[in-house]
Amino acid sequence: MILFNYITAAILLVLGMYIICTQKNLIKIVLGMGIVDYGVNLLIVSIGYNDGGSAPIYSFPDLINGAVHHFVDPIPQALTLTSIVIGACVDAMALSLVIMIFRKYHSINSDDVRRLRG
Amino acid sequence: MSYIHYPVISVMGLFLGAFLVEIFGSKNKKVRFGITLVFVTLATVLTYLLIKPVFFDQEIISYWMGGWKPEAGYAIGIGYEIDGLSLFFGLLIVTTFFLSTIYSWRYMEKDHHLGHYYTLFLMLCGAVLGLVFTGDIFNLFIMIEIMTFAAVALTAFRNNREGALEAGFKYLVIGSLGSSFTLAGVAILYLSCHTLNMAQLAALLSEKGLDGLTGFAFALMIAGMGVKSFIVPFHTPAADAYTTAPTSISMVFSGMVNKAGVYGMIRLVYVVFRAMGLSSVQLLLVLFGTVTMFVGVTMALAQHDFKRLLAFHSISQIGYVLTSIGLGTYFGLFGGLFHAMNHTLFKGLLFLTAGAVLYATGTTDLDRLGGLAKRMPRTTAYFLVGAAAISGIPPFNGFASKWMIYQATYEKAVSTGNIAFAFVTVIALLVSVMTLASFIKVTQAVFFGQCPLALTQTKEVPFSMRLPMAILSLLCLAGGIGYNYVMSYVLSPAVHSVSNAVGYVDAMMGSGYATAHKVTMLQSEPAALSVWNPVMWLLLFVVVLTAVTLVALTSEKRRGPVTTGQEQIPDGKYATFFGGEKSEHSHVAGSDLFWGFKKDWKGYFRVAGNLHSGNVNDYAVWTVAATALITLFVMIFIV
Repeated sequence: MILFNYITAAILLVLGMYIICTQKNLIKIVLGMGIVDYGVNLLIVSIGYNDGGSAPIYSFPDLINGAVHHFVDPIPQALTLTSIVIGACVDAMALSLVIMIFRKYHSINSDDVRRLRG
Repeated sequence: MSYIHYPVISVMGLFLGAFLVEIFGSKNKKVRFGITLVFVTLATVLTYLLIKPVFFDQEIISYWMGGWKPEAGYAIGIGYEIDGLSLFFGLLIVTTFFLSTIYSWRYMEKDHHLGHYYTLFLMLCGAVLGLVFTGDIFNLFIMIEIMTFAAVALTAFRNNREGALEAGFKYLVIGSLGSSFTLAGVAILYLSCHTLNMAQLAALLSEKGLDGLTGFAFALMIAGMGVKSFIVPFHTPAADAYTTAPTSISMVFSGMVNKAGVYGMIRLVYVVFRAMGLSSVQLLLVLFGTVTMFVGVTMALAQHDFKRLLAFHSISQIGYVLTSIGLGTYFGLFGGLFHAMNHTLFKGLLFLTAGAVLYATGTTDLDRLGGLAKRMPRTTAYFLVGAAAISGIPPFNGFASKWMIYQATYEKAVSTGNIAFAFVTVIALLVSVMTLASFIKVTQAVFFGQCPLALTQTKEVPFSMRLPMAILSLLCLAGGIGYNYVMSYVLSPAVHSVSNAVGYVDAMMGSGYATAHKVTMLQSEPAALSVWNPVMWLLLFVVVLTAVTLVALTSEKRRGPVTTGQEQIPDGKYATFFGGEKSEHSHVAGSDLFWGFKKDWKGYFRVAGNLHSGNVNDYAVWTVAATALITLFVMIFIV
């Protein structure tokens, strides 16, 4: 059921945004960013899914002739891989910033980390 | 034909340079600066060499990575495509980065770990340049992500500076939300069209029109690009990041990183989705642009920090650009692109002067500066040029582009008969006046007035920092005097390529592809660009005069008669306004020059100040809510 994937992706996206919007703990915010990423990744990889399809290993003439037409789209998988790597980088960078913020502010509550305002 | 390789060499060269700096440049400052300068200069020269084929010969360069050309009408490789619009932004990018490199040499000399600085600098440059050169929408997303990473790391680079880490974190949270929206939009577009090439997307979308799915993708990508161009209400990380980043980077942020978002917006709205003919899209963009310019400038009036003030002005000027390109007319495009270019020049100049002040005095707090005109005469002169340009005073470039924007919005009001666009013109004029007011405040607070005792030994900045400022000042002046040449040689090819979607699709997918998929030109080009009509301007002045009179009358009633009692003014530094004679040592600090205006609007300033709470949760709520609103708008009015 590919519909289940789309629904889960939407739930993950909404959940992630909800966490970013409501949680005061900076680590939780970083986790929320991660969950948004996972939602988008699930969305992308579901787009390429083809129920009962085979692995996409064909020569180009086969595709044009219409000899094969039932296979899983490989491009979304490549996109997902790239997106996972980027997501991991975002999380690593955000967490390192949180560490530095904790050293400087002695708090990771977003209400305390707001010297720039107005 | 060798020039078709130039774009990819420039972008790859910058990324290669980033690695080389990291490997060889961590010890020796001359080595790392040399590597940076070589690769930035290479990119600059190669991009400038593209002027002849793209601008003069009207050619659209298409380049397929690894030679993976389209097969059977499907683009399977990653392509670079450089038309007039890409090159226009590319030229601005390389110029900004080149000047920023020169400026960094002395400006950054007191910092540690400069190897990392130049690595990130080169990555930022490569990402922004790749973003405007690419013809692939997923590659666009990748470049946006690299740009955001490098920008966040550079924001937090001087992490001993108050608020730098915090600004970096907020930028990362809001920026990655925007990136996620963009990526979701890309995914949905792929679901609908099964391609990632922008030219092919333009053709397929033009054939099938906007339906529910592509409309959703459209809304998400508009929101994503809005985050990257820092329009209100996505603007909050910009104000923090521009303030705390090293000034050579603030210049790049304000000059090019937000313009990359503007470029993406123009490319998506005009070329890929071809939605600019719809009056609801025009309304959406003009609405966002107008709100952005108003909120930006009013927030700027309330600032005490030189760089934060400039940051809010940056946001405000992006509002001008967005309003003008959102009109969907040729004249609006000319005005918008011209203003984008001018903003890069004069805001870069202003940030560099702020950096010079910071370098010479160690602070950018307006209340602790003053009287630097005698100590730093050249910086003062450059600052005055930039301030005059941003306030739209002739003969500088800001005047020419703002004048075009006023004309474009007013022409739109006349041609559509929609009175709302005339109000946009009035707001644009009002914002310009407030910009001038705000820069008078800065001039008074930093360069004139009394010099605090601590700053009496201040010295002028070194030559390598003055040189970029001098170049930018000259460009500001040249753009204002020779605006006819700028329009015909620089803007005209860029504007032409925005409307020339047929050429854009055909250059990439092979000729005939566009007509097979029913891609049409945006609209016929007007014969002459001049819309000078004295009667209309007379009407405009009547409207402005009426508005001003109404405002004056209502405020008179609300405020009551003017009192002269000094006892109501607790602070002695206002005495110079009331006493009738110059008082000793009453330095009028920057934030107090327009206290009357601020008192009149104190309700607004209190609300706006509270809204910029500094809390990352609040900013995320704004971002998500605005994206939801854009989606709702698109779903109701467009699909």
